[in-house]
Amino acid sequence: MSAIAAGPGDQLKPKIVATGLEKRYCSARGGETVAVMGVELSICAGEFVCLVGPSGCGKTTLIQMMCGFEPPSAGRVLIDGEPIQGPNPDHIMIFQDYGLFPWRTVLGNVVFGLEALGMSTPEAKARAHETLQLVGLSAAAHQHPHQISSGMKQRVAIARALAVEPSVLFMDEPFAALDAFTRLRLQDEILRLWEVKRTTVVFVTHDLDEAIALAQRVVLMASSPGRIQRVMTIGLPYPRERTHTDFSEYRRELFEAFHLLHATAANSAV
Amino acid sequence: MWHRLGHWLLPVLILVAFGGVWQLIALFYPPALFPGPTATIEALIEVAINGTLWSNTWISLVRFFTGYGLALLIAIPLGLLFGCVGFLRRLFDPLIQVLRPISPIAWSPLAVLWFGIGSAPAIYIIFLACFFPMLLTTITAVKSVPAVYLKVARNFGVGSGMTVLLVILPAAFPGIMSGLHIAVGTGWIHLVAGEMLGAQSGLGYMIVDARNFLRTDMIMAGMLVIGVLGLGIYRGMRALEDLIGRQWGIGV
Ligand SMILES: Nc1ncnc2c1ncn2[C@@H]1O[C@H](COP(=O)(O)OP(=O)(O)OP(=O)(O)O)[C@@H](O)[C@H]1O
Ligand SMILES: [Mg+2]
Repeated sequence: MSAIAAGPGDQLKPKIVATGLEKRYCSARGGETVAVMGVELSICAGEFVCLVGPSGCGKTTLIQMMCGFEPPSAGRVLIDGEPIQGPNPDHIMIFQDYGLFPWRTVLGNVVFGLEALGMSTPEAKARAHETLQLVGLSAAAHQHPHQISSGMKQRVAIARALAVEPSVLFMDEPFAALDAFTRLRLQDEILRLWEVKRTTVVFVTHDLDEAIALAQRVVLMASSPGRIQRVMTIGLPYPRERTHTDFSEYRRELFEAFHLLHATAANSAV
Repeated sequence: MWHRLGHWLLPVLILVAFGGVWQLIALFYPPALFPGPTATIEALIEVAINGTLWSNTWISLVRFFTGYGLALLIAIPLGLLFGCVGFLRRLFDPLIQVLRPISPIAWSPLAVLWFGIGSAPAIYIIFLACFFPMLLTTITAVKSVPAVYLKVARNFGVGSGMTVLLVILPAAFPGIMSGLHIAVGTGWIHLVAGEMLGAQSGLGYMIVDARNFLRTDMIMAGMLVIGVLGLGIYRGMRALEDLIGRQWGIGV
């Protein structure tokens, strides 16, 4: 219960509220894995929140439940006060492996989401061009995914999501497969887009620097069972200088928190 | 340059060498028993001039594409259905597994009983030979569509019918195409068998008819035509596949 997290602006209305959220998986042998338990989390409209934690701590499970891909075993998620029934074009998930359709061009991939909403083809194309311009990909509009770099692929996925103007963006380790340079560039890019669009962003990462560079609040998770350990507010103004002393301060705090986690894990293992 | 030349030249040389060996062996046997390439070509010219080669080839191609097309029209939608709906797939899997190993040729007595003689039993045999490869590869292709594509479709609110059309079909396309490929081979192989069931025309009939007159050179000519046409259809298929692949941006 330590993790009831109120954002920096609790006076803002909460966008996403998770209460008593729990997910158990039954294994083939009949055993049960508790992937996530006792999650209490409230995220404000327009907030940028990062979920961090070691592998297997349930980050993916948690974000999938919030987006509606996985039904919770217990508890519930409310978005705008409505319980989540399933995935919805108002809350778009961006995957680590992009999920681009290889048989469609870059433009065609962005158009896909718009046409799914029932937009006419000319209108969808116009909007798709606008969005591609926003992510700096106008020149690649007529290329196929296999012809562009991985960084560009993830920008296409982001454009496809932003084109339908979702109120929440869920991102599950979106930059984990990218090289360091591309990753830094895309971090700045996603912040710029977030500042333009003011979309609520829930962002999973295992890169602590990435979390400090991006998030207003960082949700620290621990494993076995997956749970929220602590929520840390990052009070740095944007754009954040990664070499700045304040940045290092948060970094040290975060590292310490996870060293602490290692210690607890070691104790519980004995 | 030399590389490209070798690319074309070596296979042609091997074909020529094969013809040479064939001719050599033929020297040791009476032509009525083992005709050489020259006798075969002469027989081929004979039927080309009297016109039976063209009419028989034409009717064989019509039968082949009818059987192939019917199999395609039924197997692909059925494969999509079974691939998408695991419940149905599990229900029908034993039935498919029992029917599949039965050689299309084993069906031939029944095919004649049911469809009489003529084109219908041949088409039925070709249909059977094409159906299972198409069905099974389509099911596998649909099952192996990456889950993330389906998640994206769901996320953007695409309904299940449109998901099949806009996501599953194109994503499974390369796999389905390989099934269509295999079916060209198996279908064409069974063409002769189908046309031996009392048909009065076609390349298979040409061979049966030549046997009745002990024209071994004509039998070989028929075999040669079947082989060359098979190669032609296969190459045409490849070209079509490349074209579609480029259009869809999947052929790298
Ligand atoms: N479909 C599933 N069936 C069974 N167990 C699962 C399933 N998905 C996840 N788990 C289990 O739930 C736990 C949390 O997994 P999850 O994928 O959410 O972790 P994660 O934090 O995203 O890890 P990573 O950083 O490696 O992506 C793990 O112990 C995992 O084995
Ligand atoms: Mg994960």
